[in-house]
Amino acid sequence: MKPMLSNEIAMSDAIALAPKTTKIEVKDLNFYYGESKALKNISLSLPARSVTAFIGPSGCGKSTLLRVFNRIYELYPKQRADGQVLLDGKNILDRSQDLNLLRTKIGMVFQKPTPFPMSIYENIAFGIRLYEKLSKSEMDVRVEQALHRAALWNEVKDKLDASGLSLSGGQQQRLCIARTVAVKPEVILLDEPASALDPLSTAKIEELIDELQVDYTIVIVTHNMQQAARVSSQTAFMYLGELIEYDKTEKMFTSPGEKRTQDYITGRFG
Amino acid sequence: MTIVAEAMPSSLAAQARESRVRRFALTDSLFRNSTRGAAILVLLILGGVGFSLVVGSWEALSKFGFSFLTTESWNPVTEKFGALAPIYGTVVTAAIAILIAVPIGIGIAVFLTELCPRPLQRPIGIAVELLAGIPSIIYGIWGLFVFAPFLQTTLQPFIINVFHGVPGLNSLFAGPPYGIGMLTSALILAIMVLPFITSITKDVFDTVPAVLKESAYGIGCTTWEVTRRVVIPYTRIGIMGGVMLGLGRALGETMAVTFVIGNAHRISASLFAPGTTISATIANEFTEADGTLYTSSLVALGLILFILTFFILAIARFMLLRLERRAGA
Repeated sequence: MKPMLSNEIAMSDAIALAPKTTKIEVKDLNFYYGESKALKNISLSLPARSVTAFIGPSGCGKSTLLRVFNRIYELYPKQRADGQVLLDGKNILDRSQDLNLLRTKIGMVFQKPTPFPMSIYENIAFGIRLYEKLSKSEMDVRVEQALHRAALWNEVKDKLDASGLSLSGGQQQRLCIARTVAVKPEVILLDEPASALDPLSTAKIEELIDELQVDYTIVIVTHNMQQAARVSSQTAFMYLGELIEYDKTEKMFTSPGEKRTQDYITGRFG
Repeated sequence: MTIVAEAMPSSLAAQARESRVRRFALTDSLFRNSTRGAAILVLLILGGVGFSLVVGSWEALSKFGFSFLTTESWNPVTEKFGALAPIYGTVVTAAIAILIAVPIGIGIAVFLTELCPRPLQRPIGIAVELLAGIPSIIYGIWGLFVFAPFLQTTLQPFIINVFHGVPGLNSLFAGPPYGIGMLTSALILAIMVLPFITSITKDVFDTVPAVLKESAYGIGCTTWEVTRRVVIPYTRIGIMGGVMLGLGRALGETMAVTFVIGNAHRISASLFAPGTTISATIANEFTEADGTLYTSSLVALGLILFILTFFILAIARFMLLRLERRAGA
């Protein structure tokens, strides 16, 4: 390092180079649908402010793992998880964890766009209003910010009162992302967010994911290998409810340590 | 030679095919016409009922004219008939019944679809549907012998006391407590339409995609917020359908109402006072109607109910149409 550099710059460099902090840590997680075990002893840790992709053939448990992170599975009485999922060091599977609070911290976007049956504006404002009291003008700002974040503002700014259902599929999905971002979560879970979209919309969503990782910890489930390679920093390969391999995306796609990972990535099975 | 030999069977096959096609066309048109006939039959019946109601009520309508609708008195002795009291009774009892039954019905549906522990779901659902199977005569005698005396000694004196000094409400709930009366009929009607509203609401709640509910829960909604802001708006058209079905039943319900309404041809400010409805009047008086004008007046009441129901359904349709247009879906 050159001596003329100020201390400040050296400091910030050091921070940037330091390994990212862990946002979510999964320890010995098992998951059951009634009697059948869908996740077997999963342990992995997800770094903050980066994109982690879960890949694997259908039914391998990657969506299930995602659904544990915001405990949405609890809507269904026969599903249960044991083990630990630590969010900033605190176990979210703990009974005392408030579910509504957890879900404001961990947002989720689903495979199919799910706009609520209300106007575009309300789709965003609804979630904010649940936990914050804002004036009309403050709310306007927040809604606009969220729509900007989701790269949707220019397309909808003149029809904020139109129904969310009147948008195209790709726009609806970006509306759902805007809605998720609007409540200022810390983690965003994306469950195959682009699989029902055309290539152009998919490209937009991927661009968006890239921008969002500056502020958010993102976990994405995808069937599209290229997509995982394009958007993520870490990739986890799952098969039959087990975590087979988890590493930097670059390494996973160039020199995977496991033969099964290699077979899947090159399309030899699954 | 070979060409001819091959051509022969193929032309035969073509003929066979053509005759088959002709047969298809015939059965097809037969099918089309019979379904169309069934549809037209409905219109004919509807038109026929309307027509005979108009014919039957002609004498009364031409004698009393428009004042038939605005006159309260109903006097068979002097043969002066007016429909205002039964119209008022019909509309008010049905409206109160719907006001009571809709929140309860939606509440039951929400509980059954969102909150109810699984083992309880079926028993409660079946119990609600059994309510719909009870014949109206049973509601009538139960209302007269059990429910009305019960109200007379408990709820009615209590309400009369509570609103005693409140202007407006004290005349709406003025004594004496008869037991029977407008409010009692409305309560019975509410019980009778409850299963319709509940089971239809529950069915349409089940059509809400799980993923839509999940995404609402996913941004931190409570069950109340999911229901209020997502499930009900998503299903409002179906719910309206259920409410309309209930309203139609409440407007036309005869037997149970006849038992408990008191059959008094007057309009009172108090909901505890006896009154009458269109169908109760017809059922009560048809056998003793002597003189063509009396009978004709009763038929005219029927015509009014027919038109009233028609208009309420039409308004409901119109409201739904506007709702749909605003939602843009």
